[in-house]
Order: sequence, then C-alpha cells, then structure tokens
Amino acid sequence: MRIAFTANGKGVEVDARSDEMLLEVLRRDLGLTSVRATCGIGVCGACTALVDGEPISTCLLLAPLVEGRQVTTVEGLGGDDPVQRGFVEAHAFQCGYCTPGMILTAKRLLEESPRPSEEEIRLALAGNLCRCGCYVKIVDAVRGAAA
Amino acid sequence: MTDPRVTGAVRYAQDVELEGMLEARILRSPFPHARIGRVDTSAVPAGIVVLTPGDVADLGMYGAQIKDQTVLACDRARFAGDPVAAVAAATLREADEALALIDVEYEELDSVFDAVEACDQDAPLVHDRHNVSENDAAYFGIRPQQGTNVCHRFRLQQGDVEAGFAEAEVVVEETFRTAGAQHAHMEPHASVAQWQDGRLEVWTGTQTPFNLRSDLAGVFGIAEDQIRIVCPPMGGAFGAKTFVRLEAIVACLARKAGRPVRAILERNEEWLTLNRHPAEIRVRLGARADGTLLAKEVECWADTGAYADCGPGVAQKMGFAAPGPYRIPHVSVESRCVYTNLPPNGAFRGYGQMQTVWASERAMDMLAERLDADPLELRLQNLLQEGDRYATGEELHDVRFAECLEAAAAAIGWHESRQGKGLCVLMKGMQTPSRAGIAIEASDDGTYTLRCATAEMGQGARRAISLLAAELLEVDVARVRFPDPDTDLVPYDTRTTSSRSTYIMGRALVDAVRDLKENGRRGYGEVEIPGGLDPDTGQGVASHHWHQGAGAAEVRVDEETGKVEVLHLHAAVYAGRVVNRAGAELQNEGSMIMGLGTTLFETVDIADGQVTNANLSDYEIPSFMDVPIELTHDLLERDGADVHGLGETALPPVPPSVGNALGSLGIHVTDLPISAEAVLGAVDRRAGAREVPA
Repeated sequence: MRIAFTANGKGVEVDARSDEMLLEVLRRDLGLTSVRATCGIGVCGACTALVDGEPISTCLLLAPLVEGRQVTTVEGLGGDDPVQRGFVEAHAFQCGYCTPGMILTAKRLLEESPRPSEEEIRLALAGNLCRCGCYVKIVDAVRGAAA
Repeated sequence: MTDPRVTGAVRYAQDVELEGMLEARILRSPFPHARIGRVDTSAVPAGIVVLTPGDVADLGMYGAQIKDQTVLACDRARFAGDPVAAVAAATLREADEALALIDVEYEELDSVFDAVEACDQDAPLVHDRHNVSENDAAYFGIRPQQGTNVCHRFRLQQGDVEAGFAEAEVVVEETFRTAGAQHAHMEPHASVAQWQDGRLEVWTGTQTPFNLRSDLAGVFGIAEDQIRIVCPPMGGAFGAKTFVRLEAIVACLARKAGRPVRAILERNEEWLTLNRHPAEIRVRLGARADGTLLAKEVECWADTGAYADCGPGVAQKMGFAAPGPYRIPHVSVESRCVYTNLPPNGAFRGYGQMQTVWASERAMDMLAERLDADPLELRLQNLLQEGDRYATGEELHDVRFAECLEAAAAAIGWHESRQGKGLCVLMKGMQTPSRAGIAIEASDDGTYTLRCATAEMGQGARRAISLLAAELLEVDVARVRFPDPDTDLVPYDTRTTSSRSTYIMGRALVDAVRDLKENGRRGYGEVEIPGGLDPDTGQGVASHHWHQGAGAAEVRVDEETGKVEVLHLHAAVYAGRVVNRAGAELQNEGSMIMGLGTTLFETVDIADGQVTNANLSDYEIPSFMDVPIELTHDLLERDGADVHGLGETALPPVPPSVGNALGSLGIHVTDLPISAEAVLGAVDRRAGAREVPA
C-alpha cells in the first residue's frame, strides 16, 4: 500500500505492506539508518522516532499509522540542535548506537519541561537503554542542553 | 564540531549494503543434544539459496582455541540453537518463510547442563575428541583431557598448600557461583560477505579481524591473503564480537549464491550465539590469628557451553587471577574449561576475572569476620608490594593496589562507619604474549592516515590512538585519520581485547612516528610482548603488566522484601596516564554500570537446556533507573607512568563490593546475581545464627 507522510520536513510517499513496521520503512525506503533495531519489542528505545513530536518505538508502530503525520529522526535535526550539542559537549556516548533515540526522547522532554531535574531526566529516558552505560554523562548532556 | 554519533551518520556492519545482496536467516536445532538425520529442503521454492550440512561437511573445522566447530552442525547438534541450516533470499520475509519449509530429522541424545556434573565419569560427552587449534588465538599450552568434557585444565602451584593450611590458625571455605550473562550489545551481530574472483571479502563487526581471517582460511582451504576482513565500528561488543560468529555461514551462503549475502541476528539469537561463562568456584583460605595469609586453594569450573571458543583462555585467566593481589606463600589453583549442551560462552568484559574476584574477595571478608578484623586493614596488611613476586613467579612493578584500595575506602567514608559498606581490590591480566603493528601514511594535504587493526566498539580506541599519534606527530588531532580496519591494508595485530590496545598501539606508534620522520611518507612500528605461563604449574609471566583497581559500595537492604539498593558505588582504577579523559571516565562508568547488572539481576535462565529469557524484557540490563545516585570513580595517575588499559578494570570489583556491603550487615551471599530470595534466605540464617546460645 502507498503511505504518504512527512519525514524530516519533506513529504514522502512509500510503498509498503500493511503489516510492516515504521522502522523497516524508515531504514529501507528512506535510508534513515539512525533508527535502529535492537530489542524488537519496544523496550530499548534504539528505534525511537518522533511522530508528531512524540517519541515512539518504530519497531512496534505499523507503518500505515503514520499516514499524514510528521516523522522526525536525528537526520532531520541538522547536527546543531541544542540537544545534539549537549551530547557532544558532555561526551555522552560511546558506541553511539542508542544516541539518536536518546536525543529524540530528550528533545521532547525539554519541550515539555525546559528545566528538568535529574529525577525527571532519568524518568523520561528510562525507556532508552545504553549498554555502554553512558547514563551519567547523558544526564549531564540533557542538563547542558537545558541550560 | 559535531559528531557522527549524534547525527546518526555512523555506519555499522548492519548498515553495509552491496549490489544484489541477499538476506540470510539461520535454522537452529530445537534440541540441546541430537543426532541430525535427513535435512529435507524440497519444499523450499526455487531461487532461495539453502545451505545444509551436506554443503559444508567437506569444509575445514574451526575454533579459536579448540578446533571443534563445523560451519553448520553436521552429525550432531550440541545445544538448543546450534545452526543446522541457513537460507539466503532477496528479502528477510522470503528467507523467514523458506526457513519454515525446511524439515530436519533429529534423534535426541542425553544432555548435560552443568559444568560440575559434566566432569562426572558417566556424563554424556559433548565432543569425542579435543583438537587444539592452530589459530594464534590458541597462544598458550592448552591441556584438553581427552575422553572427558574438560577441554582445558590449568593449574598453578606455589609452595606447599597443605603445609600452609596445617600452619593456619583460621581457615574459611566456601563455594561461590556466578551466572551466565548476555553481552546485549545494542547492535546485533551483523556480517556481509561476497566472493570476487575466488577471493572472500567480509564486512563484519569484529574485535578479532586476523584471528577471524585465519579461521576462515582454514574453513575454505585458501590462503589468508585470499581473504579480506573489513571492520566497521561496532554498536557495542564487550567481548561478544570475537572470532568466528556468523561469518563462516554467510561466506558459504555467498559462495553458493554467487552474490553478496548479509546476516543480521534477531535479538533472541544473541543468547544462542555467545554468553558469559557461568562458573562455580570453591575457595579455601587460611591465615594466622594475626591476619597474615598463609594458604589459598581455589578450584574453578568454567562452563563453556557446546563449543570452546576462547573458553580455555577464560578458564586460564580465572585460574591465574584467583590468588588475588596478596602475599600468600602457599597457593594451589585448578581451573577447568568444561563443555556442556548449552549455548557457547566466550569473552565477556572482565574475562574470567569477575568470577574469581567475586569468590576471592568475598572470602577475604569472610576471613576478616572470623578474625574480627577490619576488612580494609586485613587487605592492606597482605597486599603485594613493589618488587614482590606474584604466585606465578613474575615480579611486579608500579604496584598501586594500596593506593586504589585506600581511595575506594575514603570515597564511601569507610573510616566513619563500616555499616552497610563493602570493599574489593583486584588485579586483572592483559593479553600476554601479544604483538601489534601500526603504520602511518603522510598525505600531501597535511593529513596522516593510521593503518591500524584496532577495532572501535565504543571504547574510544580510535580517539585515544589518534590523540597519541597527534601528540607524537606534533599536529592537531583533526589531521589524523583512522579509517575502518581492513586486513588488506593494516599490519598484523593480535586483537582488540583485554584492554590492551591503547597501551600497545601507543608503544608501536612511537616507532612508527620515528620511522615516518626518518623516511618521509610512511612509518611503521611494531611491539611484541613476550611472556606466558606453564599451564601445568602456572609459573611464568601471566601479564606483561597488571590492571589494578579497587571498588567500594554502600547499600541499603529492605529486609522485608530482600531488595538491595546500591546508594553509592565507587571504583578506583590505576590509569598510569590518562590519554582521553572523557573516554576514560566513560569506560569506568560503563564498567561499573554493567557490573551492577551482573551483581543484582543479570542471568541467562535455562530450563531443560533452553534459554527461557532470550529477550530484553525478561533479561534486564541496567537502565537510567538502576544507576545509583552516587556513582563515582578515580583515575589514578603517576608522572612518567605507562598508559594502562581501562576498558574492564572497574567491572569485577562491583559484585564483591556490594556482596561485602551485605556481609557487613550479616547477610552472607555466595551466588551472582544476588537475588531477593538469596538475601531473604541470608537474613533468616543470620537470625538463626543469633539464636544459637554462645
């Protein structure tokens, strides 16, 4: 089926099966490889994209459900977004695999709560796992981006 | 300046795409031990490439240390998850559908799932014979016990341990167990292979490009230079992306297909590919009434699962780390690497040392309790000092154990109160012997390109080595390039393991830069570190230098529920000299957080030989909510010191620090992870002990 939506500010139309997840479509049809498969069951956050501004696990979101909606990945942030800058300045990554999902989730947090406490940051990011264990510096990064 | 990690621009092995590439899926044995009969692929549609045992039966066997693997299980499947067939198709969906159409006949065999039971005389044999590998990953004297499930036995002897115990006034004895764990690197294993004019090219997330190349050459019966391995950065590895994983299957599929083939593991398959060795460790420790250590006896069983991989090396390191950083005149260690019908176990951050450090450092606190001594003072009294000989006979230099331990104790306010607090000190070996080469090429545009096999898995090795190169070249680090390692272009290196790369590549760089300055366009440097141990006596040089560290924890226990809360966790690690401060901090923090998972909840659950928690919902890894509010660490330095690797040292001290903190509350635990049930049981036993009249 044809699915039309906005990806990183541009209108796109893709041809996908009705039972395919958004993750597959973003990677295969749009080449947005910052969206990454890890757990496949919506617990790790590595496949996070913003759909109409809300962080969503794209491994569990059927692609047709984004018809007409706005999808944002880190490729759409341009590299100089305050949250991206915060992560670079705090060295809040090691392998970098979970970083895009962390950045998108943090971005939404800062829209809702521009000066979050450490507890709020931890709670907001609790659904994003980092096996390298960069959590301490990620909290610093989000605080830095909020400053 | 931005970073490809925040823009999503990093290309991992799973992102490699080649023209005409097919996608692979693997069919796995549902039985932990079974004879394989007919493999019927007649229902698979034409156009799908199918690989069956018949296709690979004539190929060479492989294995990093014991040559015990065929590309697919041919005669027998040895664990539930052993690959028995594979397919490649244009899409994953077609590959999955084809997999369901393959019919395999199995005849179930008796299985064994416990390393100690597998040493019984009548235990089912997982392998009939154990042939030591020619791969240079089999770098030490491997002692397989033919006709048993023991594929390596390592022994270390110093003094006369029975005489030592006879002299001892206090002896403590305990059996400790540590669970299997899954690396859970976020990026799954991914490999892409293609054949070009008889030459094999592989893009794969690997820490061991040269060991991998050597094993693949043996499988296909071709020269090593007919194989090219390219290593994109990895989305985490922690020891899991070592030696042959998917590469042999993918290469066979690609050869049969005549097209490139890619395989990316499904998450559940990670638990069927490589985990950490579960271990049982028995410790007996004797001392004089004044606390002077006299004798230590340690027995280890490392469960390596159905294939040895580097299990012999893990068992050996478990064994030679078992004495710990103490002066003990009489030592006896026996460590066995044992086959079972479980998924293979291999390298995992901490590499065997986590297991024996847990047992040894818990035993030290048990001894302190018996002696009514301060656990810090007991350790300080017995620590190895500058110039001492370790139990292996090697002389120790730049000894910093006391400094690490005192820093850890101070961090948690040990001297104010010991209630709910625990300490640990450790020594961790580095790959010895080993060899590394690096080349530097100067370009007309003023940049320098490093030709270096060190693999990037998030540990920051490329950054650290680039910084060292820039310092030696006296240029800005922006002018140093570090492309993905490619065995066609980079000099030989043992492998990216054991926290060795920054140290050894840093040394090789010195010669490479000198050579470049003399010759203009290209410089080459190489370092070879000698050493090794006699596997029957444990004498020799275990580690060219030792990674030294200490840990400390403060806990709070809910004695109604058994819940353990770590309030403060600290690690003190000897860095020698820090090259990349942020990277060094991240390695310490990451090791500690991973260590917390090992301490409190990570375990590969097995029932009847099947992994029952092979997903990230049932198998939990630490999240933001699991990190103690106080997570602190020290990177201890000394002017003029060598660089010391930092990738793992802060992991092994975490479990004993927490276990000993519980011990300070009278809660005695022996098994990892420390379950709420075990804590409640220990609370009950403590109450029982108190009821006994004095």
